[in-house]
Amino acid sequence: MPDPFHILVAEDEALAAMALEDFLSIKGFRVTLAGDGIEAMERYAEDPADALITDLRMPRMDGHALIREMRARHVTLPVLVMTGFLTQDTDLTDERWKPLEILSKPVNPQTILETLRRMLGVPRTA
Amino acid sequence: MAGALESVWDASEFVPHGVCLLWRPDILALHVGADSLIGLSYFSIPLALLYFVHRRRDIAFGWVAVLFAVFILACGTTHFFNIWTLWNADYVTEAVIKGFTALVSLLTAVTLWLLMPRLLALPSPRQMAEANEALQREIEIRRQAEQRYSGFFNNLGEALFIVSVRPDGQFVYDAINPALARVTGLDPERLRGRLVTEALDPSLAGDILPRYTECRDGGVPVDYEETLDLPAGRRVFHTVLVPVRDADGRVSQILGSGRDVTERKRFQEDLVQTTKMATLGTLAAGMAHEMSQPLNVIRLWIENALDRLRAGATDPVRLERTMTLVIEQTERMGKLIDHVRTFGRRDGGGQCDFAPAGSVRSAVDLVRHQYGLENIDLREELPPQAVTGGAAELVVRGRPLQLEQVVLNLLANARDAVLARRAAGDEAAGRIEVAVRDDATLGVAVIQVTDDGGGIDPAILPRIFDPFFTTKDVGKGSGLGLSIGYGIIDSMNGRIEAVNVELGGGRRGVRFTITLPVQPLAPQDRELSHA
Repeated sequence: MPDPFHILVAEDEALAAMALEDFLSIKGFRVTLAGDGIEAMERYAEDPADALITDLRMPRMDGHALIREMRARHVTLPVLVMTGFLTQDTDLTDERWKPLEILSKPVNPQTILETLRRMLGVPRTA
Repeated sequence: MAGALESVWDASEFVPHGVCLLWRPDILALHVGADSLIGLSYFSIPLALLYFVHRRRDIAFGWVAVLFAVFILACGTTHFFNIWTLWNADYVTEAVIKGFTALVSLLTAVTLWLLMPRLLALPSPRQMAEANEALQREIEIRRQAEQRYSGFFNNLGEALFIVSVRPDGQFVYDAINPALARVTGLDPERLRGRLVTEALDPSLAGDILPRYTECRDGGVPVDYEETLDLPAGRRVFHTVLVPVRDADGRVSQILGSGRDVTERKRFQEDLVQTTKMATLGTLAAGMAHEMSQPLNVIRLWIENALDRLRAGATDPVRLERTMTLVIEQTERMGKLIDHVRTFGRRDGGGQCDFAPAGSVRSAVDLVRHQYGLENIDLREELPPQAVTGGAAELVVRGRPLQLEQVVLNLLANARDAVLARRAAGDEAAGRIEVAVRDDATLGVAVIQVTDDGGGIDPAILPRIFDPFFTTKDVGKGSGLGLSIGYGIIDSMNGRIEAVNVELGGGRRGVRFTITLPVQPLAPQDRELSHA
């Protein structure tokens, strides 16, 4: 059995992060939680992930800065952005951030799962 | 002695005057004729004089005419006596008459000279005519002035009225102008000359009289805004009463002018509502974000629970935790919705006494999370009573939601300043301090909002409370926020000021200070819990 995919979740809302962890664990992922961008960078440095799920607004370092930092370090992992904002962030649709998908809160966990699998190149099974 | 006196009166040794004239008939006739005519004339003149004085009772120095009459009468008598002494040698009697005449003449002569300056001062008929003419001209000028002022009174758009203060202190309407009649619907004829208490509806009189009384007793102009239920409907007036004092210093009249500000008030309220909506607009994005958070949590937890249920896992502890969490999250959303609801509605209710710290805390709570996400350190410093909920907190008078709106606007401006400062390259910017202090000795509550966003150009600092003045880019700010805030604080009889401050360590920013007068404690209408 291959190692499970490692997902890094950057989310300052602890309850949402816990639920995501629970959900993704059940679906067979290994999950690491981070409360903000800086913590996410630290966790990634310790234990690189296969994909990043991140909120945009977070204290200390927000989602935008986190993605910028990641890409600046040539980290090409897939990024799934969850945002509570009304309008689509035009900046994030830019080519240079790809692979990147944006989902609006509240998110359907099933959509998260499907998007993750697609981005990771996992066939739709579960 | 008695013999000596008798010898004086004894005229038996004299001869009549005619003897001197040798009884020549022609000379005698001439004397008698002349003396008779002179005597008659002298008797006629005083009669005419007395008659004149009698008829013209207003004449000055009439008593001098009496003196003249006596003097002329005496002269006349001497002439008649001259005729008598032609045949009768009563020279002693003649001498006595002459002596009396001399006295009266002398008296009259001296009096005349003494009176001369005053007589000269009497206006001559020509002078009188000139004075009359001047008087006529004066009357004409006055008439024109009167016309002008009555034109003012009758045609001015301002509602004007004159109230007499009777010696017993009661108020009587002297006059009201057509403008007042027009805007109030009151009938000038029904008001004129009548007591205020009788001329007006009791509830209307009850609204008005305390102001008149204040002006009468204070003796100084009174300036106020009043909402009156009039025959023409409910109107708002800005009224000024000016006391007029009589010679004794008593306020005998009150001049009043009222400007109908009903429309203006409505416009101002609309403006407040407009900025409220604008503030709401800028908050909408933040609100959407705030709402999406609990919704997201609920969705994730419920999905997980559902997955487990479908897989046959029915751990009651886990389920109960999920349910409880969902309830907590819906409550969190409910509070947000409540806030938007109360913020959006017209805050039409009257003023109440409330603790300003409550409004400040509400405003801070509303933005705290959002600002935290932007790395803005929002620090609040409330009076200890406000934190512990003690009863000793000072209260101010106004509308809690409006004060909250003002503080929110200041916080939004502070945030914008911080973000702009950062965009300009100063990463250190990012602290907003909110402080509420009660100053019981000065009788004020002070609210301060201080940012470290670099401050405001001193050249524009005096203009920041002007309506439509904005430093933000087109479309970013209405330019109304601070001016409306100013209006709200002003309506609470408070003050709002802005100064640039040095915060140490090279940090600079703006400090807004709101000073509100605190109310004497009235426990029955205090609103401790903020809506």
